[in-house]
Amino acid sequence: MKSKKRSQLIWLYALLLFITVITVGPFFITLLISLKSANEGIYTVLFPTDPTLANFIDSFAKADFGLYFLNTVIVTGIAIPLNLIFCSLAAYPLARMDFRGRSVVLALIISTMMVPFQLYMAPLFQLAGELGLRNSHIGLVVMQVSTAFGIYLMRQAFLRIPKELEESAYLDGASKFKVWYLVAIPLVKPTLVTLAIFTFMGTWGDYLWPLLNSTESSMYTLSIGLAQLSQNFDGANLKLISAASILTTIPTLLIFIWLQKYFISGATDGAVKG
Amino acid sequence: MGKRSSKWITGVCFAALSVSLAGCGDDNSEESGGGDSGELSGEVTLWTASLAGEPFDTYFADLEAEFEEMHPDLDVKIEDIPQNEMEQKVLTSLTGDDVPDVVNLNPHYMSNIAAQGGLLGLNDLVSDETKSSYVEGPFNSGMYEDELYALPWYLTTTVSWYNSEHFDEAGVSELPTDTQGIYDTAKAVTEATGKPSYYPVINDGNTVMEKMVSLADGEPIVENGKAVFEDNEAIVEFFELTQKMYEEGLIPQETAEGSLATGQELYMAGNTSFLEGGVTFLGPIESGSPDVYEASKAGQPLESNEAPVNVAVMNFAIPAKTQNEDAAVALAEFLTNAENQLEFAKTAGTVLPATTESLEDDYFQNPGDSPKALGMLQASESLSRAEVLIPPTENSSDLRESTKNIFVQNLQGSLTPEEAVKQLAEEWNRAFEDSGEEVTF
Repeated sequence: MKSKKRSQLIWLYALLLFITVITVGPFFITLLISLKSANEGIYTVLFPTDPTLANFIDSFAKADFGLYFLNTVIVTGIAIPLNLIFCSLAAYPLARMDFRGRSVVLALIISTMMVPFQLYMAPLFQLAGELGLRNSHIGLVVMQVSTAFGIYLMRQAFLRIPKELEESAYLDGASKFKVWYLVAIPLVKPTLVTLAIFTFMGTWGDYLWPLLNSTESSMYTLSIGLAQLSQNFDGANLKLISAASILTTIPTLLIFIWLQKYFISGATDGAVKG
Repeated sequence: MGKRSSKWITGVCFAALSVSLAGCGDDNSEESGGGDSGELSGEVTLWTASLAGEPFDTYFADLEAEFEEMHPDLDVKIEDIPQNEMEQKVLTSLTGDDVPDVVNLNPHYMSNIAAQGGLLGLNDLVSDETKSSYVEGPFNSGMYEDELYALPWYLTTTVSWYNSEHFDEAGVSELPTDTQGIYDTAKAVTEATGKPSYYPVINDGNTVMEKMVSLADGEPIVENGKAVFEDNEAIVEFFELTQKMYEEGLIPQETAEGSLATGQELYMAGNTSFLEGGVTFLGPIESGSPDVYEASKAGQPLESNEAPVNVAVMNFAIPAKTQNEDAAVALAEFLTNAENQLEFAKTAGTVLPATTESLEDDYFQNPGDSPKALGMLQASESLSRAEVLIPPTENSSDLRESTKNIFVQNLQGSLTPEEAVKQLAEEWNRAFEDSGEEVTF
């Protein structure tokens, strides 16, 4: 019996190890490639014989990564709070207020998730131009502010709050807005963190819209810098691309590791109650 | 806690509103035009394709300064766009008012945008003297339905690349000049190295189409919108022998994916030994595998020395909605004049210029002895027989897609070579019937 349990455990660990290798392996190989010196071949040996950080420095210089990094931080910093506020504000009435056409509004909002970006990018481009949002940080985040996914996620979270808590606040004379930000918002914190992480990932890696909306390269973001490296005139330098990819990915990883506890509890919110 | 949240929310809302209003106040529309005196003035924007970073930043900064010195009232702005998204970005910009004045396109993008009325016709805007300064084949690549839409800038032609160490190991001293020769060479090299040795690049099917035209050696493969290659022995042999090589392991299995990037990865890892590609093929090899780079040598394309070879052209076109037409034409002419093209070719180190005068420069006869320079030498030697082998057509994506699919099925043995060639001809005929185009190539 004991040996059966042990063998099961060994298989389980072997499976976990296999999954770890599959998921972490590519990232690890990318890191190794990024550390290889100019004279070393990518495929000759796995580990760099003469490790160097030169590729990280070169990638910064080659594609103006410092500026692109700053732009990306700014747009992400704008997108996250705006998306959290607008999604929470839009979701709360859909979860808690009775008004005619509520289900239609919700269905309409969710249906926008099915529309491919290519279908509305030209009108959006025109609109952004008319509003003076071209080549501005706020213009780069219009896609990430108040997303249908965020509204749906927040609505599901608000539905889980016991109504009694809100009712007692109303009895104490609180307005609807006060109930929203003093009672409801604190109770959906894990979902807010989840949405913040999703917004972070969406904004950090967004490519096509920032490229279309920027007619000045001083507004480019990291993903465009990566594309410039990989589509380089003289062919892709894999060592530079690996270094740039690592630099681009590190903030996402750090944020995820920092907030993963909330993320996992929040990500399952939508699945509990429909 | 409540007060803090409230302040935080108010702060963010205020910040967002401030940035929005600042954005609204940003007026990009600047008056531009020829001015009363005829002197160029205003702003002119140039979009280059995947030329960010050095040495190109310095090259363009110098050009910008020189052009602005020639036209003191003109402000030149140069931005770089990743090549793959250039077409989409130009088309999107044409729906609004933020349109560039000069854009760097390839003929495929150019014809597609021109077909939608997005480019300015240049027939009457460019002088005959300027038109005659360009090499004929590349110049013609800027034509679409008898109208000139782009001026040629730089070129690469197809050359062959091989790992000389692998060839030495196999005792092979010469590159093949026909498909049977490719088979014999691949067999010898694979026997020596134990690895697949020949990688036929497919990409999205375009390189197979170009290869077919080269193999036809002057005979058209499409005549007035009808495929006429079914009985072409060289093409049938190519399908037969590539299938045989794939079956015998002389061609790597990755060929089914067929991109040049995959070919580069295999080549730099020493897992393939020879292939045909552009002059810029060695770029990633130089950084990714210095040993293989040093062992690389270039030769003429793997077909007869008289066969036409493909030339890939990058050009400059002017969007139809340009706000500064005169300055845009002047800038496009300035960028593509002999002097600036020569300088660009020297800066890039792996491309050829598109003007006859710059090609006569000593640099192209003695570019040095690096592997890249050897490639450029081979490319300049084949330029006299180089042309755009596949003209831009409306149905080009259908042609390319069917070519790739059928060629891969042939490689994998799902079709016999005869069936593959027949089916390909049928697919092409259907595509031409649908589009009603009566082209010959």
